[in-house]
Amino acid sequence: MAIIEAADLRKVFRRVVRQPGIAGAIGALFSRQYEDKVAVDDVSFGLNEGELVGYLGPNGAGKSTTIKMLTGILVPTSGLLRVAGIVPSAHRQANAQNIGVVFGQRSQLYWDLPLRESFELLRSIYDVPRERYLQNMRHFAEILDLERFLDTPVRQLSLGERMRGDFAAAMLHDPKIVYLDEPTIGLDVVAKEAIRVFISQINRERGTTVILTTHDLADVERLTPRIILIDEGRVIYDGALERLRTEYGTHRILVVTTVDLPPDDFAVPGAVVEGRENNIVRLGFDRRSLTAEALIRRVLERYAISDVSIIEPDIDTIVRRIYLEGYQKDAVGAPS
Amino acid sequence: MQSRRMANVYRQYWRINLLTTLEYRENFLIWFLFTFIYHGTAIASLWIVLERFPSMNGWNFRDMFFLYALWMVAHALHNTFFSSVGEIPDHIRDGEFDRLLVRPLDTLFQAIATPGQVFPDELVLALITFVAATLYSGVHVDAIFVIFVPLIVIGGALIDLGLNLIISTAAFWFVKVDALRWIFIQLEQEFTRYPLSIYSRSVRLLLTFVFPFAFMNYFPASYFLHKHEAALGVPPVAGLLTPVIGIVFVAAAYAFWRFGLNRYQGVGH
Amino acid sequence: MTGALPRPPRFRLAPYIEFAKKAMAREATYRFDVFTTVGSFVVRVYLLRMVWTALYAHNAAPQDLSRHAIITYSTVALLMGIVMDIDQTRALNDKLRDGSIATDFMKPINVPLYFFADGTGEVLFHAALLVPSVLIALLIFHIIVPAPAVLAAFLLSFFFGYLVGFFLNFILNCTSFWTLEISAVQLIVTWLTDLLGGELIPLILFPALLQQFIYVLPFAAMFSTPLLIYVGQIPPTRYLEVMGLQVAWIAVLGLISTVMWRAGARRVVVQGG
Repeated sequence: MAIIEAADLRKVFRRVVRQPGIAGAIGALFSRQYEDKVAVDDVSFGLNEGELVGYLGPNGAGKSTTIKMLTGILVPTSGLLRVAGIVPSAHRQANAQNIGVVFGQRSQLYWDLPLRESFELLRSIYDVPRERYLQNMRHFAEILDLERFLDTPVRQLSLGERMRGDFAAAMLHDPKIVYLDEPTIGLDVVAKEAIRVFISQINRERGTTVILTTHDLADVERLTPRIILIDEGRVIYDGALERLRTEYGTHRILVVTTVDLPPDDFAVPGAVVEGRENNIVRLGFDRRSLTAEALIRRVLERYAISDVSIIEPDIDTIVRRIYLEGYQKDAVGAPS
Repeated sequence: MQSRRMANVYRQYWRINLLTTLEYRENFLIWFLFTFIYHGTAIASLWIVLERFPSMNGWNFRDMFFLYALWMVAHALHNTFFSSVGEIPDHIRDGEFDRLLVRPLDTLFQAIATPGQVFPDELVLALITFVAATLYSGVHVDAIFVIFVPLIVIGGALIDLGLNLIISTAAFWFVKVDALRWIFIQLEQEFTRYPLSIYSRSVRLLLTFVFPFAFMNYFPASYFLHKHEAALGVPPVAGLLTPVIGIVFVAAAYAFWRFGLNRYQGVGH
Repeated sequence: MTGALPRPPRFRLAPYIEFAKKAMAREATYRFDVFTTVGSFVVRVYLLRMVWTALYAHNAAPQDLSRHAIITYSTVALLMGIVMDIDQTRALNDKLRDGSIATDFMKPINVPLYFFADGTGEVLFHAALLVPSVLIALLIFHIIVPAPAVLAAFLLSFFFGYLVGFFLNFILNCTSFWTLEISAVQLIVTWLTDLLGGELIPLILFPALLQQFIYVLPFAAMFSTPLLIYVGQIPPTRYLEVMGLQVAWIAVLGLISTVMWRAGARRVVVQGG
């Protein structure tokens, strides 16, 4: 059941052009120049109910603009958008009732008040029936361990505690869809794990559709079986995480530690020397053309080695390469 | 039902305001001192000037005191209930405003019902001042006075709200509207202090038909003080129309707000 | 080990000039501020004229202050306000609030001088706004321009008044070292300055009783003294006396500022902001 349909979404902004320096600042007082910036350019995708999707892209790629359109904050310049059957920009309030949003950088909780008060106010805003509210509160308090600080003013909470509060706040009204914008940013490892467990749980138990925007690729690896990659306003990849890894993660690094200082002309056929420091040499190779075993044998034929290890491609590297090199299925250049 | 929901939220909002204000008691005290000095210096200035120049177009200090007090109540009423509208530009600038768009309630209502500290002390001070001014000026307190003054004060608060809303709406276009707000606040304060009759014709037109500050206190005051000026051919009894003027002005401001909001959702900020 | 003390680094003016320039550019980016400052000035002068005209029409005028003189007084007061009514050392309060003051202490700059440079930059920008305002005052409002000698005395007194205001403002911002919520206090001082400084109403119009003690306050040193020199209410024979009082206030407030700054800086370094 498709819950989100986006077709040919496009968003163009007009921006004022500012010249640098004092002269420019004074000039700006008298005349203004504009330029058009295409933030989102022909984005299309569909999400089914209950999916958990990672929405990734470098800064300025159009991620937050897309999210703003989905949440009803921004009106698309053109294209079709439907969330749970509603056009967000046309029926803002109805759409708002269906969604929950967690902005990692900014809390929706009321700073000066105990956590509990924020929940109470949100309950009236979302008009959550009392029974359901108490039920949800009990449930979240338990899995997010909120009991301890339910009566503490939000400004005294640690980042991790506040984030857990924000999650509970977002879910209070049983939204069909939640948008998570950098939810684990700044958290320590333990807190991140707790949040990830929570996300996974609500998706599994309640069938909540989750769209996760993050720069922490560990979030992606742990949570989202599907990722949509956006760059320069366009979707450059939309599919299973695994497929990306197998198709794109063809580059590996063999790290060898030599017994004696490696010579300046250290070279091994089928691999590229990507870096060296003292006795350690990093050899990059394409696993499609050469297996690790074969490469190790070649190295051993030529040099005395005391240690080897293999660096697997992680999502971080893969995605970074896609940002830098652009997504092409067979692109990763075979080494000479 | 939307209105039931809004009533609930509004009730919660006031509960939270009370809690927050009690949290920050010391802050409350110093702001009360400020309010006192702010209005105090204004009234003191009037007194000092009128000691030396006893009549201003026929208005003496008692009249001017009443004029000021009437404005003060309307202004304080607005500050107590609608001051959060003035914080909208900050929310737009720091992105908090988007949060309101993501919630299932009217954005302006949410902006008004944003919990924070409240300072009802200004209203209390204003009411006391007004009672004192009424007695001191010798105004005849008849049925019309008792019925209309609350309405006029509410109308005045709506005029203030309208202005506040217009300036906040400007934030959809300009990053900083603090300067703009400051000017209007200054102007409102200073122009409402004196009887309309001292101003040139264009100013009188502006304050009557464009930004109806004159209806906040001048017209009602001239009516109750039995002043026989008819600046611009508008008789003092028009002061009884202030509630209507207030509603019309705030409706116009609201239309502008909706226009600005639509634009914001089109072009971002 | 020779025992000679290391020489302190040579004092460089350049970074402070950069700070001032940055402050100016910062102010310039607010398009509205420029037009609204000059615009608000014009409107307020119009208001003043109408008020004083109405007052002089129905009442006996004070002996040596004609209507035109009092309008000049008020107009020049507003001109002074353009430059003086800004929170020049606001940067200090801002930095204390967000904790960035700590990094400033780690830089090889003289911190109070940094704030002075920053504040001066802001003021200079606003001073640039004076140019159109003064032109308007002269050409449209026809304010009285006194004899060159009096004008010179006025400018000197204005400069002294500016320094008094600067230190007062600095002291207020220094209280942020101990308590962060100073906006109310600042506003209180602002309103008191407006009233007691003679910015709104010439102090000579105050009831005689009040005049005794108002003239002694620093607020009068900021506005009233230079303004009364300008309109000739203070004769040249008294210049030394009144400007001496201004200088005395500069010294007192400067001393208090130094003491407060030292105490506050120590507090930051010891407590970590």
